[in-house]
Amino acid sequence: MTDVTLTVNGKERSASVPPETTLLEMLRSKLNLTGAKLGCDVGDCGACTVLVAGKSVNACLMLAVQANGRDVLTIEGLATAEAFHPLQKTFEELASLQCGFCGPGIILSAKTLLDENPDPTVQEIKDALAGNLCRCTGYTKILEGVVDAARIMNGKQDAA
Amino acid sequence: MRAFDYIAPDSTESVVAALAAHSPNARLLGGGTDLIVDLKHTSNTPKVLVDVSQVEDFHGIEMTDRGLRIGSMVTHTEIMKSEIIQKELPAMVDAAHTVGAVQTRNLGTLGGNLVTCVPSMDSGPTLLALDALVTIAGPKGSRQITLEEFFVGPRKTCLEPDEVLVDIIIPKENVGKPTHFLKFGLRKGQALALVNAAASFHVGDGNIFSAPRIALGAVAPVVMRATKAEDFLAGKEITEANMAEAGEIAVTEIKPITDFRASKEYRRELVAVFTRRCLAGAYALHQSRA
Repeated sequence: MTDVTLTVNGKERSASVPPETTLLEMLRSKLNLTGAKLGCDVGDCGACTVLVAGKSVNACLMLAVQANGRDVLTIEGLATAEAFHPLQKTFEELASLQCGFCGPGIILSAKTLLDENPDPTVQEIKDALAGNLCRCTGYTKILEGVVDAARIMNGKQDAA
Repeated sequence: MRAFDYIAPDSTESVVAALAAHSPNARLLGGGTDLIVDLKHTSNTPKVLVDVSQVEDFHGIEMTDRGLRIGSMVTHTEIMKSEIIQKELPAMVDAAHTVGAVQTRNLGTLGGNLVTCVPSMDSGPTLLALDALVTIAGPKGSRQITLEEFFVGPRKTCLEPDEVLVDIIIPKENVGKPTHFLKFGLRKGQALALVNAAASFHVGDGNIFSAPRIALGAVAPVVMRATKAEDFLAGKEITEANMAEAGEIAVTEIKPITDFRASKEYRRELVAVFTRRCLAGAYALHQSRA
């Protein structure tokens, strides 16, 4: 067993896990954070996307021990007690998601995009979301949700 | 995944010592984007996983006396964001950008892409076209060989079980050499290459091809140089006709197979076109800098 300590969504969390435990298994089974989903389990679908040290990764391809000592952000840590993140707000208003399984990963991938590139083109959004598959929507409302969230975050539109 | 032990040494020497102690039952873990998938689907699990991401020697992108040194654990994202690579070798940025998606590029490493040694690797053609060297550390110390010698066969490099890839070096004279990379996949995102290609050359006096290099992926057991096409170009005037002729010659050098992604005939067509376009792209880069 290996002791793994992470700062998850701002709080220090520890667990003792076998070395072959993925970060996704530790988040879901040990820390009861089930926002990140187990989809393909081979790094194609992006449903398990979380941010480690600010960078998006497939949590199914990373061992928990590799993230030891680092900051992890999951979808559970994105909203504050006061408000949703603008992406969560626009995705809800536009019904950007249907079944929602891909949502946590898509929203976190979009968040890292907007953190680095506050005013992306549609092509840049597509590129940033290439590692997140959605089998319900056809992506149109997802792209619109990211565009609208960028507008809100840039102060171009009221967060109505 | 089946059980294994995990260690994360922090120096090249301790990685080599760990391999000496545990090989052939040890595997090196870099970014893990290939290895972790393998471990989930194989019964041939190593006893020990040696995580090399903590070794400082395996990180960093910097100019040295010998050329541009890129640590084996540098991620594809780090290559895309490197100012010196953006300025001097934008073809490397383009190649890194075609690897997987953001999440895999954040984890996956240049060294891992080379060591995995699949014929369609996206890092291979550009580096071959730049005469890249690799540094390998082992129990007898370190040695340096060309990347061409490093590739042995599909999923096979010349690394011994007790050796590790330390860094990749682009020789000084090729840092800034006009180079262009192209990849053809079935989709714009997360696709493996049906064919990928890179070409580089210096523009010699009298507007001639100097030190031309053409490298092709997914059309032979390993990423390969099209040396007959290179020999044809060397010393010739830079014209569209010569670029197209080089493409036709390159087609005679490849050994493509038919698989579920594409037929060998289709791959031949792609090689003719991509060789020409890569040469034209490298020339366009040269002209844009002049």
